[in-house]
Amino acid sequence: MKKKFLALAMATTLVAGCLTGCGKDEKKNDSSSSSGTTGSNSGVNQEAVDNLISATEGTVSLTVWASEEDQDFTQGLIDDFKKEYPDITFDIKLGACSEADAKDTVLTDIEAAADVFTFADDQMNELVNAGALQEVVSTYTYDVKAETLAGAVEAASMDGKLYAYPMTADNGYFLYYDKSVFSDSDVETLDKMLEVAGAAGKQVAMEVSGAWYNYSFFKGAGYDVTLNDDGVTNSCTWNADGATDVAQAIIDIGKSSAFVNANDADIVTGVTEGKIAAAVSGTWNADTIKAAWGDNYAATKLPTYTVAGKQVQMASFSGYKLIGVNSHSKNVGWAMILAEFLTNEENQVARFNARSLGPANANAAASSDVQSNPAIAALAKQADYAVPQRVGGNYWEPANTLGLTLISGNPDGTDLQTLLDNAVEGITAPVQ
Amino acid sequence: MAKTKKIIGSIVSHIFLALLVVIWLVPILWLVVTAFSGYPGINKAHFFPTSWSLDNFKKIFLHPDSVVQYMTWFKNTLVIAIFTCIISTIFVLMVSYAFSCMRFKGRKKIMTFSLILNMFPGVLSMIAVYFVMKSIGLTNSHLGMIIVYSAGSGLGYLIVKGFMDTIPASLREAAKVEGASEFTIFIKVVIPLCKPIIVYQIISSFLIPWGDFVLAKLMLNSGISSDWTVAIGLYNMLNRSLVNNYFSVFCAGGLLVSIPISILFIIMQKYYVEGVTGGSVKG
Amino acid sequence: MKEEKKNPFKAMGRGFANFFKGIGRYFADFGKAVVKGDAGVKCSLLFMGAGYTFKGQWLKGIFVTLIEIAFIIMCIFYAAPNLAKFGTLGTVQREAVFDPLTMQQTVNDYDNSFLILLNSIIALFIIVCFILFYIYNIKACYELQKQKEFGQHIETNKENVKSIVGNKFHLTLLSLPTLGIILMNVIPIFVLIAIAFTNYDQNHMPPNKLLDWVGFSNFKKLFTEGMGNYFGYAFKKILGWTLTWAVLATLTTFIGGILLAMLINKKTTKLPKMWRSLFIVAIAVPQFVTLLLVRNFFGDQGIVNTICSNIGFTDWLKSIGLVSSHLNYIPFLTDPHWAKFMIVIINIWVGIPYQMLIATGVLMNIPTDQLESARIDGASKWKIFWKITMPYVLFIQGPALITDFVKNINNFNVIYLLTQDVYITPDQALANANAKEVDLLVTWLFRLTNEYYNYKMASVIGIIVFIICAVFTIISFSKLIAGDREEEYQ
Repeated sequence: MKKKFLALAMATTLVAGCLTGCGKDEKKNDSSSSSGTTGSNSGVNQEAVDNLISATEGTVSLTVWASEEDQDFTQGLIDDFKKEYPDITFDIKLGACSEADAKDTVLTDIEAAADVFTFADDQMNELVNAGALQEVVSTYTYDVKAETLAGAVEAASMDGKLYAYPMTADNGYFLYYDKSVFSDSDVETLDKMLEVAGAAGKQVAMEVSGAWYNYSFFKGAGYDVTLNDDGVTNSCTWNADGATDVAQAIIDIGKSSAFVNANDADIVTGVTEGKIAAAVSGTWNADTIKAAWGDNYAATKLPTYTVAGKQVQMASFSGYKLIGVNSHSKNVGWAMILAEFLTNEENQVARFNARSLGPANANAAASSDVQSNPAIAALAKQADYAVPQRVGGNYWEPANTLGLTLISGNPDGTDLQTLLDNAVEGITAPVQ
Repeated sequence: MAKTKKIIGSIVSHIFLALLVVIWLVPILWLVVTAFSGYPGINKAHFFPTSWSLDNFKKIFLHPDSVVQYMTWFKNTLVIAIFTCIISTIFVLMVSYAFSCMRFKGRKKIMTFSLILNMFPGVLSMIAVYFVMKSIGLTNSHLGMIIVYSAGSGLGYLIVKGFMDTIPASLREAAKVEGASEFTIFIKVVIPLCKPIIVYQIISSFLIPWGDFVLAKLMLNSGISSDWTVAIGLYNMLNRSLVNNYFSVFCAGGLLVSIPISILFIIMQKYYVEGVTGGSVKG
Repeated sequence: MKEEKKNPFKAMGRGFANFFKGIGRYFADFGKAVVKGDAGVKCSLLFMGAGYTFKGQWLKGIFVTLIEIAFIIMCIFYAAPNLAKFGTLGTVQREAVFDPLTMQQTVNDYDNSFLILLNSIIALFIIVCFILFYIYNIKACYELQKQKEFGQHIETNKENVKSIVGNKFHLTLLSLPTLGIILMNVIPIFVLIAIAFTNYDQNHMPPNKLLDWVGFSNFKKLFTEGMGNYFGYAFKKILGWTLTWAVLATLTTFIGGILLAMLINKKTTKLPKMWRSLFIVAIAVPQFVTLLLVRNFFGDQGIVNTICSNIGFTDWLKSIGLVSSHLNYIPFLTDPHWAKFMIVIINIWVGIPYQMLIATGVLMNIPTDQLESARIDGASKWKIFWKITMPYVLFIQGPALITDFVKNINNFNVIYLLTQDVYITPDQALANANAKEVDLLVTWLFRLTNEYYNYKMASVIGIIVFIICAVFTIISFSKLIAGDREEEYQ
């Protein structure tokens, strides 16, 4: 019994080894062809699709997860997809799972998760690290890397390997402002904004006690958090020389009565109540804010702020929504083709038209319709200062706490360097 | 003189009671008025909505969309709740009878052991329960939910057993002399006397599926929202991307769940009080 | 009895001694049965039903033998393959190879560590149960043999069947609930205990990665501090708050419930049923709805804050230093001290109606003669309350109070719903252990698994919670169950 099992195990490893080998060769060929000696059909591989169609027997069952708001739109695309391949019988189920916490559901039980699911790019490293995502070794109906915004491709890649299909490029944050309060030049610097808002009796809001947002101050001044090669722990320079100036700058901002540290819900309330006239937030609030400000609704990149007397541009996390293929899918091939279909140029344009979601496809994003959407235009402006979010799980709570302490004016009067040292210790701590 | 003092005292205590009721009902009132609000998001600055409307209820009853499938959820939860309360009530009665009315070797040891087991918080064992259910193919099914909610219910025997302890043993002895089997005694003698505690047990087990969002979310993880229970569906509306458009619907949904439960509670109040105290008189 | 009350630990020690003596006797009896057994008993060693069949109880014999066969089949096809890998938790990591040309994925025959763990535990559990059953069976056969030797009546097949609803009825009653409890409670607990000794965390997530046994290192982490390990610090703080919270929550709602019940039950109070019903309405709304509402109610920019700042209450609190000066709102659920205070207050709101219902029933049963004689003696109302009512209620409700205390230790809903997404800890050391001041052990554990996939530490915390709860339960109920109170009443 045991011997037999051993033999079997050996055989499988051998086969697997061989296959890995072949796979590697394949990839080499692929890259050499796409590097442009032949130049033709770099991302399109109709032959493979034909192979797949002829090899497919019976019904292909797939599950797709899209966010609740996208259900109707996605269902339409799925119906189109079925028409695109009339020879195949599909059984495609559409489930609801918000992009923001897809990771939680997927990682609890990868095998039970959908074959194709949407998620926000901040979950990339954890999904890849747990082996939940199928690597996009090759594309079939369009060339993802060539047709997509460079930032989006970067966000969908880890260690140079592409793991997901970018769907939208609108999940980052930027500045909303009320044109009746601020002029276009006022919103260049935070100091000016606070001055104007103070005079008008209004407030400028940002969730400084949120790690996702307060990154913007440190990164802007050149202090970074990055993911280590293990894909889980972080490196952080927030306690390097001069970083205390950034901490002091945040404390100073917090002292202004025109500044309010408000979370998302509070920002929405503040804006609808007319208290908040400018806020750092993302496209998910665009409709509400637009409704509140009407014609005075405007958006732009984040302002600069003062560090030790110098103006520093605030950085940000760029945000993309991606479509991933589950590595445990029983129909990986069809799942990949469906994911490509859901993210191709035509459907990204359709998604923008139907849902005002900013496309990640370069052509679609460059269209004048998209560019005239203020929120998406603001994101594009901020894109020069935005970096994909690559931080490990231990970043969040320590950075939340640091932000809260600073924006509350460091109530305990702790030495700023110590404060930063402690936070960095937590951020860079190994997973225990 | 004493009489006026008494009257004043009575008025004061009534006013005090009324004040307490106000404190207790303010959040409920907010729930009610927000359910009728015309503004879909969280109205944080005003207690009463600035505009009134029935849209939230219309959405629930007439125009279900992918986010609001309230009637389906309600039906799912009702089915789960009914079966859960039948099975758990039967289980609890069985265990209680065995512990209260029968004497066998190791009885006290088993009782202590199960009390300790019952103290084990469900949150901890959730993930293991999930994989046990998955290995028998019962995740994402309502049958699975019923099993998850009712299978362990035998551990909650304490109050019912306490109640049964108060039933005089002589009644059972008499039946036994007449040649009745333990089964007959259980069905014909003991259960009819346990009416209040059975009502208590039914209410408490019926309520479980309506309030649980943690376990249900884990077990029903296919993302197919028509499979959900009311609790998952409502909790889902508080998602960052939905809350600004669905908070008032959430309130309307919460209100609709609580109406039948309130009525159930108020009608069964007498039994509930009798049952729980009959049981806890003995612990 | 009195001695036992004074010294529960001594009683427990004696319990343990008896326990081990019992085990010794248990195996001695088994040996005796094997040695002295007749052919029937000896055959039962191989074919479990033989002993019964030889004595004419063939129905029971067949039934028992069927169980034995089922067990052997289970061993071969389920237990053996899983237990073989239990020591290593699997050695073959998942490798998937995707062929871009055919678009097919090939996956090797990999080991899923978690399933190996789970299945092994189920298998071990069944094996242990079977061994106990096996020993019991031999002894029962020996008993049967003795009965025959002494010429006693041996149950016929018919009588055997009848005992299912007769003197063996407890087994019939307990079998199904026990099966459910094993599935939902016992197996998960063993799985949890096993995980505490593995490295199941974000770096090692099945099915794509393998788990390993790591011994006691997770426990060590929870009980030590320093060297970038904040778990020890966080554990101490959270344990402290968990116990404080449990005491506060239990006492406040308990006393509040009695007072409210007395107020409603007063003879002068009109419409007691209506008042009671109004309070009940507050608990009929599912907790996650009311608590989330209340959380928004007390938000930093919420309604209560708007009202407080409009009437100048916020400024007054600032002036006496309860709210720090840089804030323009009251940090109800965002400041550590305020949040703890508010959680207890909101829990009073949640808990009192329940306690009121229970107290109503208890108060109705209070012996009126005592109250009357005290009143005739001219005792004041307060004196009657503290000297007669409270002791009576405490006597009746004592055990329930302990149950409530344990339930509050695990009160997930109140804490989680009120603080999740709202509360940020200002303590860097706590943040580094993914904990918050307001966390209970259960909520900390839940967030560790749900947000950080740190199953190994969560399991260790789970075991600790379990031990704490078990100790409280044993102390409180040893009296109840060991005593003869239940007989008194019947």
